[in-house]
Amino acid sequence: MLAKKMLRDISKHKAQFISIFLMAFLGVFVFSGVGGESVGLEVNVNDFYNETNLADGWIYSYGINDLFLDQINALGATTEMERQYVVDSVANFDNDPDVTLHFVENNTISKFYLLEGDKFDINDENGVWLDKSFADAKGLKVGDNISFEFEGHVIEKEIRGLGYSPEYVYHASSASVIPDFNKIGFAYLSNKAFPGDNISYNVLEVKFDGTSENYNDLLSYHMDGYYSSFVERSQHSSVSQFADEMNQHRMMGDIFPVVFILIAMLILLTTMTRIITHQRMQIGILKASGFKNHSIILHYVSYGFWLVLIGSILGLILGPMTLPQLFYPSMSATYKLPSWNPAWSMNFVYVAVLMVLMSLAVSYYSVKSISDEKPADTIRPKSPKVSTSGFIEKLDIWKHLSFNARWNWRDAKRNKFRALMTIIGVIGCSALLVCAFGMYDGMNDLKEWEYNQINHYDSKLVIEENATDSQIDEVAEAVNGDKLMESAIEIESDSVKKSGSLTVLNNTDLVTPTDYDWNKVEIADDEVSISQKMAEMLDVGVGDKVKWHIMGSDKWVNTTIDKIHADPISQGFIMSADKLEDLDLNYTPTSIVTVEHVVNDYGGVKAANSMKNMTGSWDELTESMWLLIYILIFFASLLAVIVLYNLGLLSFTEIEREIATLKVLGFKTGALRKLLLTQNLWFTAIGFILGLPVGYIILDIMWKSSGDSFYILPSISLSNFLLAAAITFALSILVNLMFSRKIKKLDMVESLKSGE
Amino acid sequence: MCTIIEFKNVNKEYKSGDHILKAMNNVNFTIDSGEFVVILGPSGAGKSTLLNLLGGLDSVTSGEIIVNNQHVESFDDNQLTEYRAKNVGFIFQFYNLIPNLTALENVELMKDIVKVNIDGLSVLDSVGLKDHANQFPAQLSGGEQQRVSIARAVAKQPTMLLCDEPTGALDSKTGVLILNLLQSMSNNQNTTVVIVTHNAILAEAADKVIRIKNGQIESIVVNESPKMGTDLDW
Ligand SMILES: Nc1ncnc2c1ncn2[C@@H]1O[C@H](COP(=O)(O)OP(=O)(O)O)[C@@H](O)[C@H]1O
Ligand SMILES: [Mg+2]
Repeated sequence: MLAKKMLRDISKHKAQFISIFLMAFLGVFVFSGVGGESVGLEVNVNDFYNETNLADGWIYSYGINDLFLDQINALGATTEMERQYVVDSVANFDNDPDVTLHFVENNTISKFYLLEGDKFDINDENGVWLDKSFADAKGLKVGDNISFEFEGHVIEKEIRGLGYSPEYVYHASSASVIPDFNKIGFAYLSNKAFPGDNISYNVLEVKFDGTSENYNDLLSYHMDGYYSSFVERSQHSSVSQFADEMNQHRMMGDIFPVVFILIAMLILLTTMTRIITHQRMQIGILKASGFKNHSIILHYVSYGFWLVLIGSILGLILGPMTLPQLFYPSMSATYKLPSWNPAWSMNFVYVAVLMVLMSLAVSYYSVKSISDEKPADTIRPKSPKVSTSGFIEKLDIWKHLSFNARWNWRDAKRNKFRALMTIIGVIGCSALLVCAFGMYDGMNDLKEWEYNQINHYDSKLVIEENATDSQIDEVAEAVNGDKLMESAIEIESDSVKKSGSLTVLNNTDLVTPTDYDWNKVEIADDEVSISQKMAEMLDVGVGDKVKWHIMGSDKWVNTTIDKIHADPISQGFIMSADKLEDLDLNYTPTSIVTVEHVVNDYGGVKAANSMKNMTGSWDELTESMWLLIYILIFFASLLAVIVLYNLGLLSFTEIEREIATLKVLGFKTGALRKLLLTQNLWFTAIGFILGLPVGYIILDIMWKSSGDSFYILPSISLSNFLLAAAITFALSILVNLMFSRKIKKLDMVESLKSGE
Repeated sequence: MCTIIEFKNVNKEYKSGDHILKAMNNVNFTIDSGEFVVILGPSGAGKSTLLNLLGGLDSVTSGEIIVNNQHVESFDDNQLTEYRAKNVGFIFQFYNLIPNLTALENVELMKDIVKVNIDGLSVLDSVGLKDHANQFPAQLSGGEQQRVSIARAVAKQPTMLLCDEPTGALDSKTGVLILNLLQSMSNNQNTTVVIVTHNAILAEAADKVIRIKNGQIESIVVNESPKMGTDLDW
């Protein structure tokens, strides 16, 4: 019988129960969905790294011989090692694609991951195992032949297998951030396939015990001078790029779902309390007619329980199934992993369980307080809360306020809890909206700043590593361009060591260093400027001295900082060629920029990139970010509607009798709608204003988590700010319109019949 | 005396499932301007239904309701709102005051509906509640709340006061007070007052008594010498 009552009650309070269900579902859905995506990335890439035994570090040297191996072994910490000869080659295609060849000793570390064809065979002299992405771009199949040209050798091999490599999850040329598999690839070969007599190994892959810092210290202590550089796993370009990406996703997975869950729980709390308070009389009647206390409690507690349980389970299942599928396709175009599966984490289950427990606790608490009363008290309507005249009512202006204002003021005062919940709900939504639009603006600003304000050339020609000075000068002359040097560097202050980049400019007006407000920063020929973010990370300022070296060289130099500039995507130094040579370092241009649109290749030039190409690549790389922004806006809006509708409905049922009375007295529907709208708008306004700083903080955390090389400060453009406000208020009005239908249809006779 | 309210062959049916209930069965009567009318009948007879139809809260199934020469049954929603605002003052058994507003504010609320200049305090004074003007409904006794609701109803100077069991929730002493108040409204301000009740004693105070049963008029009696509320034997 009680079960029947439960079903009737639920169908009577349809909207509230649907929103309880939806909130539980949405909260868990977003949490486990976004979480499943970011945990999935982590699990997939770690599985890949483990399965292929990715190296812990790479020691670069020349002619690594057995003695060198013995010495490395003698360090003690080394557990595994293997030599490779790694060389850039050009494959025999029209566009001269760069293929990095790995001649390996036996491929036990950073193993080739086979997708098609035969397993890697260390005794195969005639085979090559090729990058699957490159092969796909070129239409190559297992069994085809391919030839490479490097250092005076030309070799032709048969493709034995296609696959991925843990060192090439992310693989882009120095000329662009987005991989173009038509132009770039890698291949693994046996050392027996090497054409010359003597193979001169240049990379030693190592696995070791202990931290990489320890290992680095050991190396530089014992082996100083015998190797050119050591790269630990976290610095490896592919590993670090993917780690940055994961970090960003993890941050999204941490912040947004938590906001959702919090709001969902708040709504749950309000709705459960309200529904049960509405049933006060019925609880009394049930008790008076002899139902035991615990069966009444069980009855009411089971209301929310089933809905929240089903909602949470559905969210738990559907979240990881759907949301990651939105992100993975665009990511898998850039990153190469053998599998893209959303992963599970026990955290999702904990959150779902928490959700269910909370609904239980809230219902239990509210029923308990009622069932503890004597049945006789419960059956009488609860004596209404006595309003009192507060400070504002005593003021003179009170008398001049309209009925609308007075009524709303007192209603909010009497229902503080409901008011608070509405405001918190709106805070959550507006914070998410402001954050989403702030991200939108930040992304656009960044693009404009980097690709228009700072860099305003049309083409960038990437110079080959072995190009001669005269070759470079010839090209520069031919295209009317300016030379540019960009290198990876490592900077050390008293406190920290950070990797960054060095840009050497030669009085060019095609690249303009700016400050954060996009104003030009003048850097004189004898000055060194550090980027703002780098300065902050190193905790240094103008006049301070820092130590730095170019990656791959162990020559450290000391420099005093003269200027500070700002850059959105590269952090480090800007200086002139003269200054660089003053510091006794070699000036080796790496690219030429020009206002001309260059398409044809020149000798000594590896690739020509147009500004359009670069911004296009940027757009592709940031695709998943845009996706997140849209998803965020959608869910924040949905949330706003649910919160406002649900709380609006609660207050509507509470004041139904008053509305009916006013209607009988002759108030027009429009006036009554305005009555409800006024309160809604006020709460929305307060919530929106309070939501701004919250959104700002979330945005700040988002940008800070986007990696060391990015420099964006949280901000939102006026137009998007207004748009966020417009959306919030439009939703508020939309929800109100749903109630105006209810006011119109409200049956006065029914609503006024007797006490309850 | 001229006729101000007329019911002509009024029928009201409620459908519940395939069962049809005739709450109002071919009802005819007239009420004159300024008359003090009591509609008497047992519970379930259709008294509230009659009053709700007259007050424009509900619509007839068939028949005509003519008030001030206007056909109320033909009004649309907006016209009904207008009609309620201008012509009807409702008084309920359970007062239905706005809990968020003080006694005075409940009365002055009418300024938002009709373009009459209302002096809330003097209206409250006329029901003897001047001293309670700034109290909220929850701080007033039942009789006081009912007096506020009468003040609210008369403040806009309606053509008629419609009272559904106005003394139903009050003790007899307070009931007499309320009845007197309504009577004086009818006598002094020439407001037509229609009271619906199951309490036969009230009939002695009426100018006209309409008895109904099972949705039908049983009798209409004009009382030549109505008693004052205070003279009734409760
Ligand atoms: N909304 C309704 N739906 C169905 N039947 C109704 C409705 N309102 C009233 N009735 C029925 O109409 C009859 C008259 O009701 P009512 O006018 O309230 O009686 P009274 O006020 O004289 O006690 C009753 O039998 C009642 O059950
Ligand atoms: Mg009745």
